[in-house]
Amino acid sequence: MFIGTEKLTHTYMPGTPFSTEALQDVSFNFQKGEFALILGPSGSGKSTLIQHLNGLLRPTSGKVIFDGAIVGSNKRELLHLRRRIGLVFQIPEEQFFSESVYDEVAFAPRNLGLDEKVVAERVEEALQKVGMQVNTVKSWHPFRLSAGQKRLVAIAAVLSLKPEVLIFDEPSVGLDPAGKKNIFNLLKDLNQKDGLTIIISTHHLDEAAVLADRVLVLKQGRLVMFGSADYIFAQRKRLNELGLALPQVTEIMHSLVEKGLPVSTEVYTLQQAKSEIKNIKRRN
Amino acid sequence: MSRSITLGQYLPGESLIHRLNPRLKILTLVLILILLFSLERFGALTAYLGFALFLFAVAKVPFRYLLRGLRPILFIALFALIIYFFFSKGGVVLFRIGIFTVESEGVKEGLFIVTRLAALVLFSLLVTLTTTPLSLTHGMSYFLKPLRYLGLPTEEVAMIMSVALRFIPTLMEESQRLMRAQLARGADFETGSIFRKAGNLVPLIVPLFVSAFRRADELALAMEARGYRIGAKRTRMYEDIILPRDWVVLAFVLALLLISFTMDL
Repeated sequence: MFIGTEKLTHTYMPGTPFSTEALQDVSFNFQKGEFALILGPSGSGKSTLIQHLNGLLRPTSGKVIFDGAIVGSNKRELLHLRRRIGLVFQIPEEQFFSESVYDEVAFAPRNLGLDEKVVAERVEEALQKVGMQVNTVKSWHPFRLSAGQKRLVAIAAVLSLKPEVLIFDEPSVGLDPAGKKNIFNLLKDLNQKDGLTIIISTHHLDEAAVLADRVLVLKQGRLVMFGSADYIFAQRKRLNELGLALPQVTEIMHSLVEKGLPVSTEVYTLQQAKSEIKNIKRRN
Repeated sequence: MSRSITLGQYLPGESLIHRLNPRLKILTLVLILILLFSLERFGALTAYLGFALFLFAVAKVPFRYLLRGLRPILFIALFALIIYFFFSKGGVVLFRIGIFTVESEGVKEGLFIVTRLAALVLFSLLVTLTTTPLSLTHGMSYFLKPLRYLGLPTEEVAMIMSVALRFIPTLMEESQRLMRAQLARGADFETGSIFRKAGNLVPLIVPLFVSAFRRADELALAMEARGYRIGAKRTRMYEDIILPRDWVVLAFVLALLLISFTMDL
């Protein structure tokens, strides 16, 4: 087990009339280098779960495990943990507070107490990874970037921690198709080229589906499905019952099968769909 | 944490006290507070303290909320007790400490003041615990209405108050989210000198301001889009209708006041 939980339960505001069970008895584990999805409708506990993974929330009961050790509550340990597990919140550009892109990205490494020279290297590296040239953008005001650029800078601001695991809460929400594509290309690169373990929480299956190795499905704070992406995506009916849909193209392929066209349904991108349909045409 | 932050002190419930008309609750509270101030007999005052406790039971408020509500006045109560014990004279000398004497009248007066203070706080607490902040502002704005004739924009003030109340939990939730987001980026909000701590708050305050202004802007637009105009006559989604039971309660409280006044005089 690289990163995961054991019987994790979390109750918000316990002992008050407002107490709500956000997670109940959730146990799972993801392997090193995996691309994992946490899938669930809104309010299913996804955000609560991922905030446990880097120690921002404490379990009411149960354990969070990372790299063979139980995540403790010691401050030093937590700081160390957060250096290894990066968490990109939903709409992360809302956290911007600096007057320049450089300072924004440098915030995290500076918090680690690194030497300013090392910080500069980290900033350059992080910006490069998201496809930006440090010399071009460093003095720009973060508020003046486009939505897609802001998101990339926000991701760079976590990448500068040099984490081994990167967790995203709805990474593409609020972006246009081009921006979304950009983000998913970046995620793919980070996972496949840099070997980062990537965990994404989402309520909507899209471009991330094709990248996923394993999928965990939450519903009302309980783990309802967990397995390889192919295994989960094959259970379309069950997903639909849970209020979740496969990516649009995959849904179309399923409709085609229902209409009697023998196409494969393990298709998650437009590109794949195109070639699959072409194949079928050729065969007929 | 953030799921549903308690604003003010409201505790949801279904009791008779929760369901009473908010205007009536405010009115009776004011009447009772006046009464408490004018009572001069210890017995009557203790009876009212008991009555307050009885009402807490009716409203099904857990005991620890009551204690929590009393905590802020603990210091004042202690202070008053000490002052009265040592400096109010009369009656029998109970004991001496050096040149100071504690006399029976002083003890009596001290206890009387503290009981009065506790009763005042408990009755007020009962109202804030059982009424949503929004109904409270609506109720208050009703009593402020006459000020309109003096040229004060009471409707608008009430609107500002309810908007502010509505957004406090939102902003609190947001600040908690931001705090965690910056913690995830290695921020530290706890250690260091006071100046460092203040400086460390910048990553929290700047985004919070940005989003507050954005929200305010969006809200203003949304209100105008739905026809909000300053000075226009507005109706409420939830009219606070005064039911027969409200009249019964009012009559009961008035009777109570009358009895205590005649008995106390």
